[in-house]
Amino acid sequence: MSQSTKGVRFGFIIALILAFGFVLTAVFAQRISPIDENGDDPNFKRVGRVTNLKPLPPSESSLLGTLPQQYDVFHSLVWGSRDALTFSFSVVLVSLLIGGVLGSVAGIFGGWVNRIIMRITDAFLTIPLVVGVVFLTQLVSVSVSALTFFPTFAQWQAGGGVEFGTSPLIDFFTKVDPLLFSFMALSWMGYARMMNASVIEVKQEEYIEAARAVGVGNFRILWRHIMPNAYQPLLVMAARDIGNVLILSATLTFLQIGGNSVWGALMARGRDWIIGPRGSLTDTWWVYMPVTAVVILFGITWNLVGEGLKKLVIEHRKG
Amino acid sequence: MPSILRYLLRRIALIPVTLVIITMLMYAGVMLTPPEARVQLYLPKGNAKIRESTIAAYIKTNKLDQPYWVQYTHWAKTLVSGQWGYSPSLGVEVLPNLLERTPVTLELLFYSFLVIIPASLGLGSLAGTRVGSWVDRGIRAFSFLGTSVPLFMVAVFALSIFYLKLGWFAPERLSLEFSTLLNSEEFKVYTGFVTFDSLLNGRLDMFKDAVSHLVLPVLTLSIYNVASLTYLNRSFTMEETNKMYVAAARARGLKESGIRYGHILRATLSRSLTSIGLAAATILMGVFVTEIIYTINGISAFIVKAMRAGSDAPATLGFMLYSVILVLGLMLLMDLLVAIADPRAREEVLNS
Repeated sequence: MSQSTKGVRFGFIIALILAFGFVLTAVFAQRISPIDENGDDPNFKRVGRVTNLKPLPPSESSLLGTLPQQYDVFHSLVWGSRDALTFSFSVVLVSLLIGGVLGSVAGIFGGWVNRIIMRITDAFLTIPLVVGVVFLTQLVSVSVSALTFFPTFAQWQAGGGVEFGTSPLIDFFTKVDPLLFSFMALSWMGYARMMNASVIEVKQEEYIEAARAVGVGNFRILWRHIMPNAYQPLLVMAARDIGNVLILSATLTFLQIGGNSVWGALMARGRDWIIGPRGSLTDTWWVYMPVTAVVILFGITWNLVGEGLKKLVIEHRKG
Repeated sequence: MPSILRYLLRRIALIPVTLVIITMLMYAGVMLTPPEARVQLYLPKGNAKIRESTIAAYIKTNKLDQPYWVQYTHWAKTLVSGQWGYSPSLGVEVLPNLLERTPVTLELLFYSFLVIIPASLGLGSLAGTRVGSWVDRGIRAFSFLGTSVPLFMVAVFALSIFYLKLGWFAPERLSLEFSTLLNSEEFKVYTGFVTFDSLLNGRLDMFKDAVSHLVLPVLTLSIYNVASLTYLNRSFTMEETNKMYVAAARARGLKESGIRYGHILRATLSRSLTSIGLAAATILMGVFVTEIIYTINGISAFIVKAMRAGSDAPATLGFMLYSVILVLGLMLLMDLLVAIADPRAREEVLNS
């Protein structure tokens, strides 16, 4: 074994430990930092008076200090890992599924089916994520505002429009976070392209032609011969994406464009103490330092997991 | 016709196809809203106190009570004719306002690309031809960290250190005195890029100011994008290094630097540029994030204002369509560079 593979192995083990740590924190969040029974949001806990706008340094009541309005930093960091893992995993799993299915169906049928599906995939690649989020959140808010467009509710009903509360769009997005939905709608293209490329590559191998010649069906070929070769790079990509998705969702929350990523909100609430007029890197370090460290650590963890998986795949292929 | 032109025509022909797919999807989303909401797309200036009967009339004339295809084609026709609607929350016509803001965003993109393309190509080929050396390790560490740290955090910390603490650079596009000059009569606009226009107007002080305001945003954008593209270019280079012709060139006793930059870099160029094209949407998103944090009044400021005001259908649809067009433009630019750099890529497309 060469020096560099040893290094990667080491990194892989560290990353797995870190990833496991995040999962444990998420599972035992209530044990580590119990929620405030009187609070309205379990992800944030107040440890002082709301009126106190000055962030307080770490003390016994708050392990990592507080934000303006006395929100406990440590509590949100712990509960944020639950939010981060559920959000990222659901986005990655759904886009892996959509991309995997579309890419392989396109590849296996080939011809015009392939051309149409891959053209749509490429079209999706031209939509920046932030634009998709804006579009979906605006769809909802435009529908809601149309409901109040007429002077009174009675007039609205008399006008024969959609009845209040029955718009399927509004119903859907009160249950599903528009941010989550747009992430799922705009993250599957990479998987589809990768899956498609490997299906087309494997399809040209002689043993596939042989299998076809003896009358093995398309889906059996896909499942028995193509999948075992194609799923590994997809997993590598998925592992990396878990970190990326979290980073992007925190970005959008921080910019107040959409969503409620806890870690992003943590930074947004302390924003004035970082780049505001009173901002200072040294005086109020607990406002941004812990959350920055955790977000970066989360990104690095999943990047390393991806890197480690990739090395495993390469070694596995070599023999 | 020369092959380079035919290649570009092929690429350009794909753009309307993509636009049709995207607009059809967008309108499918719009169809989920009630017609009374969709009517916003066609309402003229000053629609705040519009009556119920007028709305009904607008719904009729714009076919909003008809099936999807009729509505979609009607909307597409108005888009093509340049009527992108009137934004009630911003109080402006959508398309002219977007066009007016475009140079600001393009200038940021232009300088970022000037850094991103050479840096990612250079670092990638440097690392890929010296695998395992300390140069390679350093570059890999940089690209690993650069992709793990969120862009918005880089921007926030850059502002906090270089603006608040050291006072070297400032947010926004220009200092106050120069932005008033920019909007005054005596300043002539040639290109829309302040860095070019200030020089053409003979204002060296303004040029310096514009550059100092560009430094932080460009660096912020470059760190993430250079890091992620370097990673790709390194692996392209490594693959290329193992090919027979490289061994043959070495056997013939060609200089190592000649092989690295004359052979390997040139061979990987088209793949590298193509991957930049595929990342165009991500790059544009980074540009928007950077603009918002550094309060640069580009295209993203348009949608941020509209969203703060509440709901604004014409602004949202216009912004989305315009962003997609920008991404397609960037992709086309990369295709053009590929066509210039690599004749093989041209042939491949023409023969497919």
